Amino acid sequence: MYRLKTLCVAVMATLMTLTGHAARAEGLPAPTGEVILTVTGNITQTNAPDAAQFDLEMLQALDASEIVTDTIWTEGEQVFVGVRLNTLLEHVGAQGETLAAVAINDYAVEIPVSDATDDGPIVAYALNGNAMHRREKGPLWVIYPYAASNKFRSEVIYSRSIWQLDRIDVKQ
Amino acid sequence: MSPETEDRDMSGLRNLRRRGSVILVLVAALCVATIAFLAVEIVRDLRLLSSANSDNVQWTLSQAEVEFLEFQHALDLARENHVPDLEAVRREFDIFYSRMSTLSTGALYAPLRDLPEFGSALNLVKSRLDAMIPLIDGDPAALRAGLETLAEGADASRGDVRRIANSGLLVFAEQSDARRRSIAVTLLRMAFLTTTLVVALVILMRHAQIAGRVAKRRGRELTSALSRMDTILEASLDALVVSDLQGRILDFNSVSERIFGYRREDVIGRTLGDILIPDHLRDAHEAGMRRFALTGERHVVGMGRVELEAQRKNGEVFPVELALEMADTESGQIIIGFLRDISQRVKDEAELVEARDSALAGEKAKAEFLAMMTHEIRTPLNGVLGNLSLLRKTRLDSEQERFVRHMGISGKLLMSHVDAVLDIARFESGMTETQGQAVHLGRLVQDIVDSQLGAAEAHGNIVEWSWTGPPATWVEVDSSRLQQVILNLLGNAIKFTTDGRIAIELEQVGADGAAAVEFRIIDTGIGIAEADLSRVFDDFESLAKPLKSDLGGTGLGLGIAKRFVTAMGGEIGVESTLDEGSVFWFRIPVVPASATDATDSHAPDTAALRGLRILVAEDNEINLHLAQDLLGGMGHKVTAAQNGLQAVDIAQHQRFDLVLMDIRMPVMDGLAATRAIREGGGPNADIPIVAFSANVLPEAKDRFLSGGMSAFLGKPLDPDELVMLLNRLCGPDAAAPATPPVSAPAAKAPPPPRAPADPIAALKDRYLAEAAALFDWLAGAPGDMAAIADRCHQIAGSAAAFGQPDLRTALLHVEAAAEAGDHDRLARAIADARVAWHEAPAPRIA
Repeated sequence: MYRLKTLCVAVMATLMTLTGHAARAEGLPAPTGEVILTVTGNITQTNAPDAAQFDLEMLQALDASEIVTDTIWTEGEQVFVGVRLNTLLEHVGAQGETLAAVAINDYAVEIPVSDATDDGPIVAYALNGNAMHRREKGPLWVIYPYAASNKFRSEVIYSRSIWQLDRIDVKQ
Repeated sequence: MSPETEDRDMSGLRNLRRRGSVILVLVAALCVATIAFLAVEIVRDLRLLSSANSDNVQWTLSQAEVEFLEFQHALDLARENHVPDLEAVRREFDIFYSRMSTLSTGALYAPLRDLPEFGSALNLVKSRLDAMIPLIDGDPAALRAGLETLAEGADASRGDVRRIANSGLLVFAEQSDARRRSIAVTLLRMAFLTTTLVVALVILMRHAQIAGRVAKRRGRELTSALSRMDTILEASLDALVVSDLQGRILDFNSVSERIFGYRREDVIGRTLGDILIPDHLRDAHEAGMRRFALTGERHVVGMGRVELEAQRKNGEVFPVELALEMADTESGQIIIGFLRDISQRVKDEAELVEARDSALAGEKAKAEFLAMMTHEIRTPLNGVLGNLSLLRKTRLDSEQERFVRHMGISGKLLMSHVDAVLDIARFESGMTETQGQAVHLGRLVQDIVDSQLGAAEAHGNIVEWSWTGPPATWVEVDSSRLQQVILNLLGNAIKFTTDGRIAIELEQVGADGAAAVEFRIIDTGIGIAEADLSRVFDDFESLAKPLKSDLGGTGLGLGIAKRFVTAMGGEIGVESTLDEGSVFWFRIPVVPASATDATDSHAPDTAALRGLRILVAEDNEINLHLAQDLLGGMGHKVTAAQNGLQAVDIAQHQRFDLVLMDIRMPVMDGLAATRAIREGGGPNADIPIVAFSANVLPEAKDRFLSGGMSAFLGKPLDPDELVMLLNRLCGPDAAAPATPPVSAPAAKAPPPPRAPADPIAALKDRYLAEAAALFDWLAGAPGDMAAIADRCHQIAGSAAAFGQPDLRTALLHVEAAAEAGDHDRLARAIADARVAWHEAPAPRIA
């Protein structure tokens, strides 16, 4: 009986170690540079207490996506490069319906997780080939493909296009 | 308002209504187009609203102010603390800077930037911020040292930031108002147009409703018209058959079913030629259909009613009256046939024609009978008159002489009546023909006037005649008829005029080509009432009693005159005033002729020929003797033959001027003998051969003439007729004789001597003996029917000559029965004949 209990604990510990290694193997390493994005809430992958912290390098390491569009805040066509929001959420193992996105100036907006699709918004970190300065709405800017569809040119979508993004809280 | 203008107005109204509905449709279409345009515009506006490129501009602008204040606050905090939070200053600067650059680059704010105060304020703030960047991005010591400078710059910008917020708000408020107004106007326009459209649609709907009602009413009318048409067609008395151009039957009404005997469903789709057209017309029908299909040539279609024949189901062919018409339908041209069964009508017509024919034949038979009877009356009457004149030569006392004279007058009158009736009867039965002769009109009239002078004087009348205008002397007319007409008219004039004057006027009235002469007999007599004028020419009309003690007339004189004038191609009329006199006129066409011998033309009727060689073929000895006596008495040379064969033999060897040929003879009858003489090529092939028969019916005469005979003489022989006939056939005018007969003036010629009494008495005895022998023989019931017929015929001929017409008739009945081989009838006829024999008067010759 004792031996059986010990065996079970050992098997479960091994399984947990294996899965834990597998997740860690993807890499949520500790940020080495300045932390520019902190994801909290209902996520499975973390590199800080209850949080996944990202520096620019970590974000650049993820699959990059490009959106070419004009915006109501800029002049002319712009080329944004960043991480697809769904890619980011997958990366942190987000389990939720809504994201509470907050900017440096504490501007906060809710983005439904359903927006995060393969042709949905990206968390842009480069504009026209350059990293975005904080004075230029950087370093992170949630960009929808406005030019692609009429559905992305509404006030709600504009309000979700949060710039100077620095926190995301994944809510149930 | 005249119907025409009313009509025009109506059509104008219709046009107007039609134009109105066209306008309505146009208005509706325009409305729809405009509404569509507006809808597009509204959708675009809505899209503008929904794509909201405004991003809550107000919030942005006020946020700019908030973020400026945050920056100022961060500066203030840094200046007060010994360890200033420089990072906070940098962050708030970046945030504010970011906001300002959004305002200066964002497409959304382009209209704002065009505002001078907004633009200048923004540029001022932006340039001050740009000036701060070296301090912000510099090392912390420099930043700490520059905090005061930054604070001053920030203070300087405060008013500008405020202006940016305010002016932006104002502009966006105005823009928003303008857009609202524009949408409101668009919506108003749309509402107006929608209302217009609805009104137009309502009107259109109303219009459609009316049109629908009209269409429905027309439909009802059409339906009732169609059903009416059906009723008419079904109730029609005519059969109605509809077919296509190939003759396939498309419709067949109930009358057709009744007439043809087919049921409708059995004939639909079959062809006319197969079932309705009789065999003998089928080829013609199909040729007609082909011809019509090829050339469109119509022989029956559209030509009105024609009469043809059709065939019933039971094969009976019957006459129809048919009319065919073409019609165009949606499924092509059709032929509509109206047929009427006219078999009853045709039958009725045939019956009517038959009835008419038999009535006419009956009339003619009556006239013929009358002619025959009158003829038969003349013969004994001649005998009476002849015996009277003989009696007058014997010794008579004065009383007897008066009786005889009266009898003579009565006899002559009776004779004239009989003659008149005979004339009419002959005329009606077609016995007489117009015969043209050259006559001298003046002499003809003079002779008539001369002959009537006695009668005229008896009434104290003067008779005179004259030409009006140039006289016509020799003309060709039917002189005997002309004489008769003038005589009748003159006789009447004398009869009805006392102590007056009667003038005969002659006048040539013919136009260039057609010569005609008008005769006017004018009297100063009693005249005729106007009401009676139309009846004077009718038969048996005696309007007035003759004057003095004259005997009444038959009332046939004018009837005869009218018949004769009409037969000569002329016309006759009368004008009269009661108590003043009458004018009878007649006008006849004449042919101018050259003068002929005065004597001949003077009295053509009475001229007689002498010395002709005449062959008489007659099996009845009594008749033969009579003819021999008569002709011999006229100075002719007579040769006798007992039958046709003998006549042919004799004619082979001897030349004659004329043959008198009995028709019914033993061995060879008259017709066969005539043919033999004509075709035998002997010396007499071309001489006149005169039929000599008791059968005076026109059919018989026609048969004789077509059998090669030249003329006809009735039995018993009438001396006058015989003379006329001989004159006509062998006289100087006759074409036939090769040897001109000796002609002798006969104006003063004595009447032909009668046959001597003795041979007649002998004949009479012989006749009686023969008749008695016949009846004895018949009593023995002989079986030879032909012999019975022959012997009865012979005795019948004698009986006629001996003044026993009843016996003659009875014997002819026996003959007919014998020929028919009818024993019962024969026995009865023989019994009747025996009675007639016993009752017959003593035989005598007229």
